[in-house]
Amino acid sequence: VRGQHFPPLRALQASAALRRASDEHKKEPLTSSSQHHFDPPPAGHQPEQEPQGPRPSYTGHGGQESEDYESEEQLQHRILTAALEFVPEHGWTAEAIAEGAKTLGLSVAAAGMFHSDGSELILHFVSECNAKLSELLEKEQKLVQLGEAEKKPMDEFLRQAVEARLRMLIPYIEKWPQALSVLLLPRNIPSSLNLLTSMIDDIWHYAGDQSTDFNWYTRRAVLTGIYNTTELVMMQDSSPDFEDTWRFLENRVADAMAMSNTASQVQSTGEAVVQGLMGAAVTVSNAETSWVLR
Amino acid sequence: VRLWWCRCWALLSRPAWRLRARRGLAAGPEMHFGFQTVTEEERREKIYQVFESVAKKYDVMNDSMTLGIHRVWKDILMHKMNPSPGTLLLDVAGGTGDIAFRFINYVRSVRERQLQRKLKHHQNLSWQEIFESYQKDKFNSLGDSQVVVCDINREMLKVGKQKAQHLGYSEGLSWVLGNAEELPFDNDKFDVYTIAFGIRNVTRIDLALQEAYRVLKPGGRFLCLEFSHVSNPLLSRLYDLYSFQVIPVLGEVIAGDWKSYQYLVESIRRFPPQEELKAMIEDVGFFKVDYENLNFGIVAIHSGFKL
Repeated sequence: VRGQHFPPLRALQASAALRRASDEHKKEPLTSSSQHHFDPPPAGHQPEQEPQGPRPSYTGHGGQESEDYESEEQLQHRILTAALEFVPEHGWTAEAIAEGAKTLGLSVAAAGMFHSDGSELILHFVSECNAKLSELLEKEQKLVQLGEAEKKPMDEFLRQAVEARLRMLIPYIEKWPQALSVLLLPRNIPSSLNLLTSMIDDIWHYAGDQSTDFNWYTRRAVLTGIYNTTELVMMQDSSPDFEDTWRFLENRVADAMAMSNTASQVQSTGEAVVQGLMGAAVTVSNAETSWVLR
Repeated sequence: VRLWWCRCWALLSRPAWRLRARRGLAAGPEMHFGFQTVTEEERREKIYQVFESVAKKYDVMNDSMTLGIHRVWKDILMHKMNPSPGTLLLDVAGGTGDIAFRFINYVRSVRERQLQRKLKHHQNLSWQEIFESYQKDKFNSLGDSQVVVCDINREMLKVGKQKAQHLGYSEGLSWVLGNAEELPFDNDKFDVYTIAFGIRNVTRIDLALQEAYRVLKPGGRFLCLEFSHVSNPLLSRLYDLYSFQVIPVLGEVIAGDWKSYQYLVESIRRFPPQEELKAMIEDVGFFKVDYENLNFGIVAIHSGFKL
């Protein structure tokens, strides 16, 4: 992590010009008279390098991507999204990112902004998938609330959510093992773990989990286990449309449900055993006292 | 020999920071030439003469002064660049071609790996198709990558061309005489611009940076490898000692040129430190400007993107 702070909201000249050129036939040209600047650019910065068109104008609302303005992060996002197309061919590498940058009209050297092992590309992909999953689950929940769909039983819901999420890997399945190994690099573990836990959290949230006790942890641990093992099974599954994987998933979810029943059974058995022991202890102590008193 | 020893002794007995500044002649803004003060024009001329005289022994001196570590620095620069085949590189002040040759080697090996991977995917194509694609790729061992070496000094370029011939580099290489402050290239041409151990000798660094911005394509990368400032005080003392006592002596012994190497170590001290150079690069319009210290700050690689 570098100890630099980005100069706030300097317009990206070169890439902005490229996007303008490509969007010209889509949007009407903007007048540069309406310029509400979020932050005035450093004085003397503009006149020096203006080989491309007029200064970009934008409405000053947050870091939102309005007409011509975008931040470095947004540009990086666009490059990574464009790079995903080339992953099946090049893998999760700087080469794929370079190809992605090329499609946006940038130089291949722009891939130098990212790590050469493709970590950022993979993390970007994972967070995009998670976002898509959340959207899906949200839509379904709305349908249920509007009464247009029936509420699914818990195991069915979990199974479908995990399957939907894993299906997003299918276009990249060949190179996914490589991605998994990169995600396990010490450098990436905090971020990848973060993404994983927030995804599992999401699924439980939409499943209607409102526990506030220890169950919260067990539920997440169980679902994380199911997800990870299913993912690994998927890696070496060669059946048509990954049937074996989905069957494996179904079994694991069924196991988990059964285990939770067993758990509550174990708990009541445990309570019964404890009561028995207490009773025995009381009896023994009574016997002792009465023996002493005799 | 006795004269040489006298000079040696004279310099050793005076601590470097007591070297007097000499007033420059005539008009023109005053600049530094090592620890001297001269006009802009004089500076350009003096630097030209310095490199004219060291050109033939440049590589030998690099090896002896840095004990061969400069090769590692340049390799690290190349790894940081991580060029893919098809990259167009402009190496400014690239005189004897060190960076250019490394670039060609790197791209060649990346290209080979690419071709191998392609062949693996060709398992289920017909023989005709495989043959055709092989033909197409065989004569493209660099994958359309090219490097243009630009230097202001004719002698350095001459040495570079001779080296290229000697080492067998011919493809994808061009040599251009040009001034970093006023490059003879069009806008938006290059993918990567490098300047290794050269920006220190540029008289107007801001102009060179502006030119770099101009000739780079959108998304292009600026890389600068240069001597910089050591912040660790103990190391700094040792480094100073080595620089001022050993290097000029090596210069005299190996290249027969004390003054040039005196200039070299002085110019290192006069060059702006890491943060200042970073600010200058940002001012010109580069984004994601960052630097990496090598060997505790003896050398630093600055990187920026034209976004």
